[in-house]
Formats: sequence, structure tokens, C-alpha cells
Amino acid sequence: MTEIAATTPAPVKSGGLGLRQSQFKWLLVVPLIVFFCIFFVIPVGLIFATSFNPSAIGQVAPTADITLENYIRFFSRSNYLMAAGRSVVLGVVVALVTLIVAYPMAFVIAKTRHPGRNTTLLILVLAAMQLDMVIRLYGMMVILGDNGLINQMLLGLGLTSEDAPVQLMYNFLGVVLGLVQFALPFMILTLVGVIRGIDPSLEEAARALGASRRRAFFRVTLPMSMPGILSGSLLVFALSISSYIVPALMGGFRVGVLPIHIFQQVAEGARFQFGATIAVILFLLSAGAIAIYLRVGARRSGGLA
Amino acid sequence: MERHIPLPMLILAVLGFAFMLMPILVVVMAGLTAGEFLTFPPQGLSLRWVAAFLQSDKYLSSFFFSFRLAVMTMIVATILGTAAALFLSRTGMIGRGAMRAFFLSPVVLPGVVIGFALFAFFIATDMGISRTIWGLWIGHILYSTPYVIGTVGAALASYDTSLEEAARSLGASPWRAFRKVTLPNISQGIQAGSIFAFIVSFGQFEVSLFLSSPNSEPLPIAMYNSLRYQFEPSAAAAGIFAITLVTASVLLTNRLVNIRRLLERQQAGG
Repeated sequence: MTEIAATTPAPVKSGGLGLRQSQFKWLLVVPLIVFFCIFFVIPVGLIFATSFNPSAIGQVAPTADITLENYIRFFSRSNYLMAAGRSVVLGVVVALVTLIVAYPMAFVIAKTRHPGRNTTLLILVLAAMQLDMVIRLYGMMVILGDNGLINQMLLGLGLTSEDAPVQLMYNFLGVVLGLVQFALPFMILTLVGVIRGIDPSLEEAARALGASRRRAFFRVTLPMSMPGILSGSLLVFALSISSYIVPALMGGFRVGVLPIHIFQQVAEGARFQFGATIAVILFLLSAGAIAIYLRVGARRSGGLA
Repeated sequence: MERHIPLPMLILAVLGFAFMLMPILVVVMAGLTAGEFLTFPPQGLSLRWVAAFLQSDKYLSSFFFSFRLAVMTMIVATILGTAAALFLSRTGMIGRGAMRAFFLSPVVLPGVVIGFALFAFFIATDMGISRTIWGLWIGHILYSTPYVIGTVGAALASYDTSLEEAARSLGASPWRAFRKVTLPNISQGIQAGSIFAFIVSFGQFEVSLFLSSPNSEPLPIAMYNSLRYQFEPSAAAAGIFAITLVTASVLLTNRLVNIRRLLERQQAGG
């Protein structure tokens, strides 16, 4: 709190921290602006600049040599184009599956009137969201692995044989399941806010006019949740295409998505320029989804993100 | 249960919660198993893997490294985030929404890219902190501050500024009015925000990936490195400690601010 003391000049009579006309309240936000400029804007800008430099192994700092060769390489190699396509498809599939799994959960949370029960459900969601992804994936791997709990159960029931376990991970399916696990809380929190904001009397009116419960839900509640569905899906899409840990552990590096390629180029090949190119493409994809998300009306939905 | 929720919805929701929480439960069971690894049905309980974790140099030092990093991150994120939230709640300037979105953006932008960008920046500028706790610290502050802004912003949205103005008109200096009136009113929001900052840093993986080294290895990275090759129940035991820490933090947050209301405020406040 000393920070605030130091940045708040006291003696001006009409000014001060609480009053709207204070011209010094700017000082409150200056430290964070400076921090973000130095450690966020400049580094990301550096990556953008580097992506236009010719490839030079081990060279990190950007140079004045401008070329498009990295982008041409990216867009002419099927290897990288497929990775980008895979990332996008993965993001769309995960957004859809997460939506289907999250909607009933969000609905129940939104409609639970008992305050204690309601808080308990929200705490469960929040705790799952805040818990380190590596730990949650460890659990997923124990459940879904070749010798995992599900395969042990199937083996015990005599449905599979020892040498042919059901492949639930180290493939696309495993990555989807892992990403749904990751994105679920974000989707739930977004949807709860929207569903809670729907006036219950609308559904009651539909019911009073003779609509069945199911019809009232599909014709009134669900369409009215559309803003939340849209913004939640965009958020989940952006989070999914950005994840490194889930494809790495659940895909066993067999599902090559953009974040995996970035790490391989940079950490294993020291190809900073090409790594930066992939990073820029991923960054733009994710930022694009977020920009639409903000436009769609994040204001009407909840969530800490 | 609540009678106004249709049964199919309730069943789907229960299945969803099972999917969401099962992996966490499994980690707890794996860390407490008596066997060499978790089997179905379980082989009984023991504390052998917890003991193994407490004696393992690798996990224990990572655990404390992460803890130290999270505390360092929490302090700076709380100060920077609270000040920024105060400004955002008090300014009427155009572009306030854009500035808020800018400050919150690291949470949703790809962590690997940000980590890589910082890594390249540290090397290119010759700062010499690319694979040290200081580099990690900067990356984690970037990812934790948004949570402080969100939580303190929510507390400020429900705080009536006329209280502070009343104190000012009664002759209190701006600093005194802030310290004696505003601060007590939002202090629980600040505490909750700092807890969020702590947990986010403690569980951070993506940003840490490029910024860590074997000498400065946070717990998620250490667990990841061992998980790539084999399942060690002692990693699950480390997970139990992390799960306990996070659950305790969320419960504590709920004591400080009403979580239900916090999430609703987020919606109202945008």
C-alpha cells in the first residue's frame, strides 16, 4: 500500500484520491502501464519483428534485414499448415463439446436457489479452475492411459484383451478430453451469468401459454442464452488453441499443434525466427477470437477471465 | 434437490461434475495408494508416497520454489493490480474499457508465446535473467495481476465513493480518507485478489515453460518433466499438497468475499 501513498500527492485541496476531478489519479495506473509496456508490449513486438528476419540459428535479437521467407515457408509446407488447421479444428471441437458438457452444469448452478448449495457448486468449479493443469492431467492420464483405470475395468469385464487396450489418449480424442477438462470451468462461469440473467417469468409465460417444459426450454431459455454460448465458445476456442501442456501430455507429442511446434523450433532447434513466425500466427488467431469475444458482449457474461 | 430443475438436466449436470472432479479425486487416490501405481480396484491406503514426496529432493525443492515465487508474485501483483483497479473505477476517460481489456488480456493470450517473447527479450537485451527466478517472476506477475484487477474491481464496484467524499469534506486529507474509509471497505476484495494471484502463480505452467531451468524449476514444470517418462505416485503426493493448498485458498476467498456475489459483480461490472 505504500505504493499508493507514494504516488498520491496529498495537499491539493480540490483534488485527492477519491474525487473525480483529481488530475493525479493517473499516477495510480502508471506503474502497471510501464510494467506492461516493458514486459508485454515490447517482448511481443520483438517477436513480431523477429518473425520478419531471415532464419539464422542461434540468433535472437532482431536485425534490420526484412524478409517474408518465414511466412512463405509456413504457408508452403503442408506440415505447418496442417498444424494450424489441426489447432483450429481442435479449438472448434473442444468449444462444442465443452458447451454441451457445461450447459447443464451451468443451468443447475444458475437455478439452484439454496445459497449454501449454490456457493458449494461455485467453489467446486472455481477450485477445479484454479488447480494446476499438470495435476488434473495426471489424473486424466491415470484414468485414460493404456493401463489406466478404464482399460483395467474393461479388461476385468473381459471386453478387451491385454495386448489391445482401447486407445483413449495419445491421440486426438485424448487431447480433446484434456482440453475439455481444462476449459470447462471457464465455460460454466460464462454461462451461469447469462442463464441467471434470463427473467424466469419468460419461461413461465411460455409454460402458461401451453408450451411443454421441453419446448419452453428450447424456445425461450436456450435462445436467450445465446450471447453466453457465443462468448463462452470463443473464449474456450482461444484457450484451447493456446494450450501446450494438454497436447504435450494427452497427445504424447503425436498431435502436433502450433504451441508444440513453437517449442520444438525454439527450444530444440534454436530457430528463433521461424519459432517467432509460428508464435505470431498463433497469437493473431487467439487475439482475433478474443477480440470477437469482447465485441459479442463479454459485459453480459461472467467469469474471472 | 431443487424441484424446478428438470431431471434430465440434473442427471447431465451430475455427470459433468463427475467428469470435472474425477481426475482430482484420482490424483488424491493415486498419492495415497499402497501399491506401486493406482489400480482398479485400489489396493488400499498408505502414506508411503507422501513420505516419499517429503523425502524427495526434486519435488520438495520445486514445491518451495513455487511457493516462494508465488509469494513474490502475489506482493507485486496485489500492489500494481489494486492501484490500477482504483484508477479504472475512478476514471471517466474514453478508452477505459480498452485499457481494462488490455490489462486482462494476458490471461487469455497464449502463455507459450508470452513466455517465448519474454525469454527472447531477456536474451536480446542481455538482462541475464532469462532462466532465473526473476524472469519467472516477471512472467507470473503478468498473468496474476489481471485476477487482482478483476477481484478488487468487483469490490470497488459495490463500494459507495460518497463515503470517501464525505470524509474529505469533513477535512480528512485524501490519503487519510483513503486509508481510513475506502481501504477498510475494499480490503477483503484486495485479500481475495491476492489469494487468486498466489494460486495462479503457483499453478502456472505455460509461461514458465520457456523461462525455467533445472536450477529454477517450479512444481508444475517438475511434475511435467517426470510425467513425460513415467508415473510416479510421489508426484501425485505432491499433487495432494497442491490440491489442499488451492482448496484452502478458495475456501478462504469465500470467507473474505462472497464468491457468488463476486462472480455476479463481474457480470455487472463488465
